Amino acid sequence: MRVSLRWLREFIDIPLTNPDEIEQVLAGLGHEVDAIEILGIPFTGVEVAQVASIRPHPDADKIRLVTVQRGAGTQEVVCGAWNFDEGDIVTLATVGAVLPGGFEIGARDIRGVVSEGMICSERELGLGDQHDGILVLQGDFEIGRDFAEYLELPDVVFDLSITPNRPDAMSMLGIARDVAAKLNLECREPTIELVEFDPPTALEVEIRDPEGCPRFVGREVRGVVSGPSPMWLQARLRAAGVRPISNLVDTTNYVMFELGHPTHVFDLDQVAGERLIVHRAVAGDTLQTLDGVERKLDPEDIVISDENGIVSLAGIMGGGPTEVSESTTRVLVEAAHWYPPAILYSSKRHALRSEASARFERGVDPNLSARAAARVAQLLVDNAGGEAARRVVDVYPTPVEPWTVEFPVGELVRILGIEVDGPTATDFLTRLGMTVTGSDPLMVTVPTARPDLTRPVDLVEEVARLHGYDNIPESLPHGTGGGLTHSQRRTRLLRSVLTGAGFTEANTLGFIGVADLDALGLPADDPRRATVRVKNPLSEAEETLRSTLLPGLIKAAARNGSYGFRDVALFEIGRVFRKTPSNIDDRIPHQPAHLAALVTGAVDGSLSSDRDGAEVFDLTALLTALGERLGLGKLSIRQAPVPGLHPGRSATIINDDFVIGTIGELHPAAVRQFDLTGRVAVMEIELDPLVAEPAWWRFTAPSVYPPEKFDLAFEMEAAVPASQLVGSVRGALREGLESVTLFDEFDLGGGRKSLAVTVVVRAADHTMTDEEAQGLRRTIIDHVQADLNVKLRGGE
Amino acid sequence: MDDLDALLSSAPEQIVGAASLEALDNVEAELLGRRSLITEQRRGLGRLELEVRPAAGARLNEAATRLQGLLTARRVVLERLEEDRLLAEDRVDVTVPRRRVAIGTSHLITQTIDEISDIFTAIGYQIADGPEAETAWHNFDALNTPWWHPSRLESDTMYLDYGDPEDEILLRTQTSTVQARTMESQPPPVYVIAPGRCYRTDTFDATHSPVFHQFEGLAVAEGITFGDLKGTLSYFAREYFGPERTIRLIPHFFPFTEPSAEMHVSCFVCDGSGCRVCSQSGWLELLGCGMVDPNVFEAVGYDPAAVTGFAFGGGIERVAMVRHGIEDIRHLWDNDHRVNEQFV
Repeated sequence: MRVSLRWLREFIDIPLTNPDEIEQVLAGLGHEVDAIEILGIPFTGVEVAQVASIRPHPDADKIRLVTVQRGAGTQEVVCGAWNFDEGDIVTLATVGAVLPGGFEIGARDIRGVVSEGMICSERELGLGDQHDGILVLQGDFEIGRDFAEYLELPDVVFDLSITPNRPDAMSMLGIARDVAAKLNLECREPTIELVEFDPPTALEVEIRDPEGCPRFVGREVRGVVSGPSPMWLQARLRAAGVRPISNLVDTTNYVMFELGHPTHVFDLDQVAGERLIVHRAVAGDTLQTLDGVERKLDPEDIVISDENGIVSLAGIMGGGPTEVSESTTRVLVEAAHWYPPAILYSSKRHALRSEASARFERGVDPNLSARAAARVAQLLVDNAGGEAARRVVDVYPTPVEPWTVEFPVGELVRILGIEVDGPTATDFLTRLGMTVTGSDPLMVTVPTARPDLTRPVDLVEEVARLHGYDNIPESLPHGTGGGLTHSQRRTRLLRSVLTGAGFTEANTLGFIGVADLDALGLPADDPRRATVRVKNPLSEAEETLRSTLLPGLIKAAARNGSYGFRDVALFEIGRVFRKTPSNIDDRIPHQPAHLAALVTGAVDGSLSSDRDGAEVFDLTALLTALGERLGLGKLSIRQAPVPGLHPGRSATIINDDFVIGTIGELHPAAVRQFDLTGRVAVMEIELDPLVAEPAWWRFTAPSVYPPEKFDLAFEMEAAVPASQLVGSVRGALREGLESVTLFDEFDLGGGRKSLAVTVVVRAADHTMTDEEAQGLRRTIIDHVQADLNVKLRGGE
Repeated sequence: MDDLDALLSSAPEQIVGAASLEALDNVEAELLGRRSLITEQRRGLGRLELEVRPAAGARLNEAATRLQGLLTARRVVLERLEEDRLLAEDRVDVTVPRRRVAIGTSHLITQTIDEISDIFTAIGYQIADGPEAETAWHNFDALNTPWWHPSRLESDTMYLDYGDPEDEILLRTQTSTVQARTMESQPPPVYVIAPGRCYRTDTFDATHSPVFHQFEGLAVAEGITFGDLKGTLSYFAREYFGPERTIRLIPHFFPFTEPSAEMHVSCFVCDGSGCRVCSQSGWLELLGCGMVDPNVFEAVGYDPAAVTGFAFGGGIERVAMVRHGIEDIRHLWDNDHRVNEQFV
C-alpha cells in the first residue's frame, strides 16, 4: 500500500514533516514502511498554453507551425503532432526548460523555422507512457501558469506492508484514521453530496449465492463522457502506483485507494436485460476477461451474469463485452462484498492477483459498499459529466451489525505488564473509532471495518499500539529448569568426536528420488525402498522423503569432487522417514534421527595413516572411537554383505544384539552411478542408541604391579573374522587379562591365514611370576583352540 | 718444587686445552689413571716413614680432588658444546607442515542452534524437539490458522502421501508446531526453545530455501507479560549480537499470537546509523513474536484465563547469515568444502 503524504494531509493535519519521523509513527502502528520514495517535479520551465493558430510548415509536410497563447503574449513553435486543434490547452516547454533525463530546451532551427520551445507529450514530461501525440489538457487550467503546480508535487510516498488482519488499512482513509488516533488528531472524512435524477434506474440484481455475495450495491450514472481524469486525481493515482487510464476507470481505482473498497463499472448499455444475477460458475463455463484471456471457470468461482451469460468474474476482473470504453455513456457502478476465501482462491486459480483482490480477500467492510458506490457516482458526476440515477440497488439480506466486546481492564496489566487505567483505555479505543461505555469491564462496540477485533485480547493489542510498544518496560523472566538433556549433551559429544576425527558436518535437503535408491543398488524388498512420498514435490528427482542419509551425503561428496576436492570426510545427523507409524503419534510417520559418515580420497592426519586412500577401516576406526568416547561397550560390527555396499567390505553395526546400522565401502557400481571414483567408505547408524544415556560406568583401580606380555599366532580358515579370534582370547580368562591387540595378519595361501595378537596380563594384587603368566598363556591357547577351529602356530 | 707440584701447576692448562671429550678422557687417564704420577705415588706411600705417611697421603688426595674438579668442570663445558653441535645438526625448518591434524567443522546451522540453545538454557529454558512430518492440525489448526488461509495451499506447504487422508500429514512449515506438541504433553509452566528443520514449497534463491531452520521460543506461566517478551528478546539480541544491541518491537500480525510484533535489532555493523547491511534503516528485521493467542491455549487444553505466555520464532539461517555476512542462503546447503571449512 503506497501512501502519498499529500493525499494523507487531505484527511489529517499531520504535525510532522520529516519522513523518518512519519515512518516511526507508521511502524509504531504496525504499518511497516518498506520504502520511502520522494517524488520530485520531473521538469522545470513548462507552462500551460493554448493553441491559438496552426499553419503548415513551408518546407515540410509532417510538421506544423503552432502559435500558442502564453501568459504574456504569443509564440510560435514547431510541432510534429497532429492530435490537437486550435483552442486546445497544451503544455509548453519554454526555452531554458529542463525535461526528464536532463533534456534542455533551447531555440532550435527546424527546417528554416526557429522553434522557441516545445509542446510536450505525456512521456516527454515523465508523467506516463503516452507518446502518440502531445498532451492535450482537459479541465480547468490557467493559461501561463507553471504546469508543475497541477501535479501535486513534490510528494513523499510511504510504501507500507499492511498485515493481513487489517483490511481497513488498505486505504488512505484507514491509514489516516490510525495516524489520527495515534497522534490524537481530527480525521476529516470525505463528504459525499450526490443529486439523483429521474427516472430511477431499471436495474435489478438477484443474489443466488448469499454466502459468496453478502451484499451487492448498484448505482446507475448516465450521460458520462469518457476522457482523461483531472490532473490532481491522475497525480494521486500515480503516487499510489497506478497508471491513469480514463475518468471512468480511474474513478474506481481512486475510491479503492481512498476508502479501501474496490468497485467495478460496467457499460450498462452492454448489459443485456438490465438485470444481473450473482451465482457460482458451473463446470464448463468460460469468460473472456477484459485482459482478452478466455478463462475456464471453476464451480468455486463467483460470477455475475446478465441475460446473455456471464459478464464478470466477481471481485477479480470484468468481462470484455461489458467493459467501459470511449463510447460508454451509461455506467453501472458495482460495489459488492465478496466472501474473502472465494476471492482468494479464485484469484490464485486464475493467477489474477490485483489491488482489488488483495482487498477483497482480506475482507472489505460490508457496510462500506453503499458509501463506495456513492463516492464513485459522485466523482463520475464531477469528472465525467454524468448524472446519478435515482434509486440505489442494494441487496443486503443479512446486514452485519457492529458488535460489543466485554473488556475487563485488568487484561491490560495481565497481558502487557503495564498499568493502563480504564479512562486511558477508553480514550485510546474511542480514538480508534470504537464506542466505549462502562468503567470495568468496558463495553466496547467495534465498527464493522475492524473484523480483527472480537475478543478482549484483540483490544489489548489496540491499546498497546496507541500506548506504544516502545513504552512497555522490559523484564526478563527465568525458566524453571534449564540445561540440555543427557541425549542432547551426548549428541554434542558425538559431534565433537566426529569433527575431532577430521569429519565435516554436511547439511543436505532431505529429499530423494527412486533414481537415488536405484543408484545405490538397493533390492526391491529393501526397507529403505518404502519411502514416504511428497504429494507436491519440488521435482521428480526429489519426490520422496529420505529413507537413508546416504544419497545426500554421497552427492555432497560428488559435488565437492566437481569443485576439485576429491578428498572428503563428511557426516550428517538428520531424520529419515519410514512408512511405519511414529511412536509419539500414530498419525505421522516414524522419523528417527540417523548419523551417516562418508570418507573418500586421500586421508591424513588423525584420520588414518594410510595415504593410499580411504577404505572401510577409516570408518571402523571412527566407529570404535565413537564407542569408546560414548562408553558404548556393546557396540560391534559383524561382517556381512550389505545391499548397496561392496559385498566383501561391508558389515552390520550391532549394539546390544540389535542391528543399528551398516558400514562398508560403496559398491563400485554405486560409486560410478554417483560420479565418484575410487573407494568410498560409508556408514549409517540410528542415533538414539548412540546418545541414549548408558548405565553409569564404574571405576577400576589400576594395578600397581608390573605386566607380563606374550604374543600368540594362530592359523585358521581365511573366512574367520579377526574380531572372533580377539573375542575368543578375551573370553578365555576371568581375571588378569589387561589387553588383547591384533598386530599381524598374514595370508598363508590355500584359503588359510595367520592372525597374531599381543596379550598383556597383570595381577591386581601381586607381581605375576613367569610360571603364572605361562599358566594363563596355556589357558588362553586351550580355550581358543577349543572355541574356534584354529591352531597355534610355531609350537607351544 | 717436587714432581707433584710441577704436575699441579701444568695440569690446568692441559685440562682446558682438551678440545674434545675424547681428548679430555686421555688427559684424565694421564693425570689420574693407573699410570699417572698420583697413582704411582699412592702405591709408594707404604714405603714411607710412618710419621710422614698421613701427610703425604693427604697431599695426594688433595691433589687428586683438585684435578678431578678441574676435569669435571671441563667435561661439563665440552658436553654442552657437543650437545650444541648435535642440535645444530638436528635443525629443521619447522614451518614445513610435515604432519597434519585434520579436524572437521560442525555446520554453521548446528553451531547456531547450539549457541542459541545455550543462550536460553542459561536462563532456565529447555530444548524441545518435534517431528518434521506433522499433522496439519499441529501446523495450522492448533495455531489458530483459518481453514482457508493461503499458507495451507500446496503452493506453500508440502503434503505427504501418508496414512489416513482425514489426517492431512505435511512437512512442518514452522517450528511453532512444537508449541502445540509441548503444551499437549506437559502442564504449565513451560520454557522451551525448539530449533529445527522446516519445509516450504519455495524455490531456491539468495534468501529462500525449500528447507530451512527455525528456532521457536515459548514461555507459558502465570504472570508472563509482553514486557517479559521484550526483556527476553533483548537478552537474546545482546547475547547473540553483542552487548551494545537494542531492540524494538513493532506491531505485526500472526494467527497464533495476540498482540503480535516483529522484532528488530539495532544494526551491529553501523550501530544504528544506517549502512548497507541494514538497508540504511539502522535496524535488522529478525523474528516474529507475540503473546500466545488464547485460541492456541484452548486448542492444547490450557486455560487462557489462568496462564499467559509469549512465543517467538526466528530463522536460524537468517540470524547466522546476518552475523557472518553470508548473502546467499544456498551456501549453507551446498556443502562446498571452501564454505564449510570457514565454520570455525
